[in-house]
Amino acid sequence: MVRLKVHGVLADPNTDTQVVVLRKEGGFEVLPIWVGGAEGHAIRLAMEGVVPPRPTSHDLLKDIAQNIGLVVTQVVVTDISNNTYYAAIYVKMNGSEHTIDARPSDAIAFALRVPCPIYATGDVMKHRAGEKLDAWLQKLDPQNSGKKYMRFNCDENPSRST
Amino acid sequence: MITQMKIRGLMFDPYNNSYIVLLRCEETQNMLPIWVGKPEASAISFALEGVPTLRPMTHDLMKLLVDSVDAKVLSANITDLKDNTYYAKVHIAYGNSFFAIDARPSDAIAFAIRTEAPIFASEDVIQKHDAEEVDRWLENLKPEDFGKYEV
Repeated sequence: MVRLKVHGVLADPNTDTQVVVLRKEGGFEVLPIWVGGAEGHAIRLAMEGVVPPRPTSHDLLKDIAQNIGLVVTQVVVTDISNNTYYAAIYVKMNGSEHTIDARPSDAIAFALRVPCPIYATGDVMKHRAGEKLDAWLQKLDPQNSGKKYMRFNCDENPSRST
Repeated sequence: MITQMKIRGLMFDPYNNSYIVLLRCEETQNMLPIWVGKPEASAISFALEGVPTLRPMTHDLMKLLVDSVDAKVLSANITDLKDNTYYAKVHIAYGNSFFAIDARPSDAIAFAIRTEAPIFASEDVIQKHDAEEVDRWLENLKPEDFGKYEV
């Protein structure tokens, strides 16, 4: 298992899709995950520490867990098949452990709010779509993509660091 | 006082470029429209229409979370209206404890449909919303807009 941190969220100006770039802690490997606009926004809010006036869906998720005393220990990106990523949320309650099936976008938005560590299995890191991110970045206007990276305080283009 | 509401419909509001969940009180036939964002509207419409999704959506995850520990969602409650913002609370029972958790009405409704929990609104809220304005707005709606997502 590889521990990851959220490096940035890139908006695709042409579609409603966003890319969450996860990066190996203390390393250069990146794991890009394509997510919907709403989920990308939820992750960005948490990264930037923005507290909206009303709880978002993922804030509610966290509040439910916290209220009933559920302890979230970690989230893991577990599998890629047919370009779909799978994740598991590990929770503890009264000494018993449960895993909950989730989309990585929800799992990450949740993990940032809890907060709890984010991992990916070695298998997922092996099959990650680093090349796809490269191709996608090339399609973007270079000026545009530079701005986005700067906005998220990225010091370098992650596509170069794989 | 609170009163039970049923979802009467879900529709697009072109004037505000947002969506409206229309709740109706079974007894009095009073309507309570709630404006929601696009992702929340689609979360509600998926649940109303029983559209199966390949992967659990955000509100499905909420259900999976409470189900994993056998907590029970008792109800969704529209509690207040202040400065054009509606407030809601989700009531959850776990063991012998009871929790009222602050939420947006859109999330509370999307969650309630999935957990088959009833939706309530405080009568204050129903009275507070500007009835005249809603009437005017309702007049602009085409009859075919209604019942589109009726449950």
